[in-house]
Amino acid sequence: MGLVVGTFSVQSKPVNFHKDNADDDFEMTVVCHRPEGLDKLEAQTNFNKRELQVLYRGFKNECPSGAVNEDTFKQIYSQFFPHGDASTYAHYLFNAFDTGHTGSIKFEDFVTALSILLRGSVTEKLQWTFNLYDINRDGYINKEEMMDIVRAIYDMMGKFTYPVLKTDAPKQHVDAFFQKMDKNRDGVVTLDEFILSCQEDENIMRSLQLFENVI
Amino acid sequence: MAAGVAAWLPFARAAAIGWMPVATTPMPIPPQEKKKTQDGLIILNVSGTKFQTWKTTLERYPDTLLGSTERDFFFHEESNEYFFDRDPDIFRHILNFYRTGKLHYPRQECISAYDEELMFFGIIPEIIGDCCYEEYKDRRRENLDRLQDDEEMDISNEAAPVNLSYREYLWRAFENPHTSTLALVFYYVTGFFIAISVMANVVETVPCGTMPNRSKEVSCGDRYALAFFCLDTACVMIFTFEYLLRLVAAPSRYKFVKSVMSVIDVVAIMPYYIGLVMTDNDQVSGAFVTLRVFRVFRIFKFSRHSAGLRILGYTLKSCASELGFLLFSLTMAIIIFATVMFYAEKGSAHSKFTSIPAAFWYTIVTMTTLGYGDMVPKTIVGKVFGSICSLSGVLVIALPVPVIVSNFSRIYHQSQRAEKRRAQRKTRLARIRAAKIRGTNAYMHFKQNGLLIDSLEEASKKAGQALVGKAASPPFESQHHHLLHCLEKTTNHEFVDEQTFQANCMEISVVNKAGSRSSSLSSSPHNLSSCCSRRHRKKSSFSLPSTNNQELSTIQIRERPLANSRSSLNAKLNETVPLKCNQPYISPSMVSLSAPPVTSSDEDSTTTTAYSQSNIVRVSAL
Repeated sequence: MGLVVGTFSVQSKPVNFHKDNADDDFEMTVVCHRPEGLDKLEAQTNFNKRELQVLYRGFKNECPSGAVNEDTFKQIYSQFFPHGDASTYAHYLFNAFDTGHTGSIKFEDFVTALSILLRGSVTEKLQWTFNLYDINRDGYINKEEMMDIVRAIYDMMGKFTYPVLKTDAPKQHVDAFFQKMDKNRDGVVTLDEFILSCQEDENIMRSLQLFENVI
Repeated sequence: MAAGVAAWLPFARAAAIGWMPVATTPMPIPPQEKKKTQDGLIILNVSGTKFQTWKTTLERYPDTLLGSTERDFFFHEESNEYFFDRDPDIFRHILNFYRTGKLHYPRQECISAYDEELMFFGIIPEIIGDCCYEEYKDRRRENLDRLQDDEEMDISNEAAPVNLSYREYLWRAFENPHTSTLALVFYYVTGFFIAISVMANVVETVPCGTMPNRSKEVSCGDRYALAFFCLDTACVMIFTFEYLLRLVAAPSRYKFVKSVMSVIDVVAIMPYYIGLVMTDNDQVSGAFVTLRVFRVFRIFKFSRHSAGLRILGYTLKSCASELGFLLFSLTMAIIIFATVMFYAEKGSAHSKFTSIPAAFWYTIVTMTTLGYGDMVPKTIVGKVFGSICSLSGVLVIALPVPVIVSNFSRIYHQSQRAEKRRAQRKTRLARIRAAKIRGTNAYMHFKQNGLLIDSLEEASKKAGQALVGKAASPPFESQHHHLLHCLEKTTNHEFVDEQTFQANCMEISVVNKAGSRSSSLSSSPHNLSSCCSRRHRKKSSFSLPSTNNQELSTIQIRERPLANSRSSLNAKLNETVPLKCNQPYISPSMVSLSAPPVTSSDEDSTTTTAYSQSNIVRVSAL
């Protein structure tokens, strides 16, 4: 009897194997990416050679193939926020980093973005942030996009907060944001409105300078 | 958080700019960046093999040796590198831990060497990666088991009979028959009677020829009923006596009653008593005859005498799940094939397959490839299914068997290894003992030579021994001897060897019995004499006298010569006792030298020299 069952299962096995083999071959063709020369990168970004070396070593350590895909990116970012779920925000970050929409971040993208964030001018930083918030890249931030972003940020907090997280807290936050940013009350925030409003706010200006000495 | 990810922290912080416009309250001040240390290369020289890594790599784990300032202790100025006098092969894995954040355990390394290295470099073993964690834990457990075995053997060898209560002594005699002659005799007697009883049960049923007034043959049991009854009674009495003794001696009676062996004992002797109690009634005699079947369980009593039987039983117990699976799959197969055969053979005339349960017998006989031939299918369909049945039977039975076999082999080899270790232990200890004696003799010779230099008159007398000692001793040896000499001078006692000490011991017991002493002294010689006599008794009954165990423990703390001082200090005490009996001279009492520093001599003035299990030697203050 066991023999009968056994023969049946043996029949179905080869099919799966065949498929797996095909998939495996496909996986193996993922190519390693090598970045452009150190000099070129130095010219393109605001980092010096030593800083680029340190950045690349850290980058390559975590992603030996030379490119980060979204899953790895989410994994890495989540390790810094163990309390809550950082994957949604990491998803938006990934899209902001991946300017070419290739599905993977190469070292050039990584370093370019970092260059803007750490060594760029205020306008550049604000532009990058606007890009982050504008999920569908249409040039406008509307309320839904902002809700997604704010909810993603609140997700990183996790469940156990003080005071206890209320369900409409993100909404209130978004309303306050639009109150401040949307000058002409048309329901969307454009880049100019965004930059202008941020430059008026002392807190934001100060906080943008916070991470300048990170490297 | 993996160390490699720490390299991405600047990125995570930079990405935090995305929160800034959303935030309504001001952000906290960032921590002061201390002056950035230049990220330089560090050279780690491990026994000649040079490893290099970035300083920041090592500093990822600041609570280890390499990541903290502790490594400065190993900095070698001349070569501007950090030198470690450790194993470079294992160091490779430790350095990889800093690099990748994962600690791996190499399978070919010894587990204790690896553990030592981890401890040296301040890395806790719990962070070993998943890939190697199982292997590491298994090896660790094996090692601990081995150590525990050794300890248990130590304990069982050390237990001096006098210290046990009578009950414990009895239990020990039962569990380890080799400990005393009486136990051994009892062991063999019970074995003999088990064999006799089993053989009697067997012979009882053999036909013994016809009786004069009957035509049928009778079995021997009926013919010599009285003889067999007496034999049975004798055996049961012995078994009952043994069982009761074990019950009395057991440390935990409840646990003993629950144990398998005691159940077997009870089952073996119950039929006899039940037979005594029951009358020769016709109705119950049928049941009584069935009870006699249980007498065969006496054969299981042999498992106390045979380790192999125990291993077999243990294997079957540990393979219970495989056996259960075998049974289950067999049952399924039997039912299926019996049903099929029944319906296949239903058509044929005079078929033996009268019902499905009747077909069970055919299925079992066929699947186990017995093939008695008492039931055979006649139709073609029946024959086809019959052949399928026998083929599948082979497979179903053959599959779980290797698992059981490998389990048995594993357990058997484990017990063999334990036996081998036990056997080798004796030679190992003998070797250690010989080395110790060599060491102490070296010191004796050195001392005698030292005296030689002082007093030239002795030179001629000790000429023979001097030749040995005159050989140039290396500086380590001479410093060591000097140290022992200082100790002697400090304590006003000298080291002597065993024979001298024993001689002194005998003297003491003679002398102190006669003389009247202060109370502090009267207790000590009592114990001295008892200790000496104990030593002698021990020497006769055990192959390893307890002094060896003392010496063994001191070897573990690597104070070889000092261990000798223990026995010789006692010797010295006894030497001084007759010499200074009339002077109220207090010799400084010595504190124990072994690992547990229990006694301080101030506690009790009547500390005694005792070869106790705890290996503490206390010297009485005179």
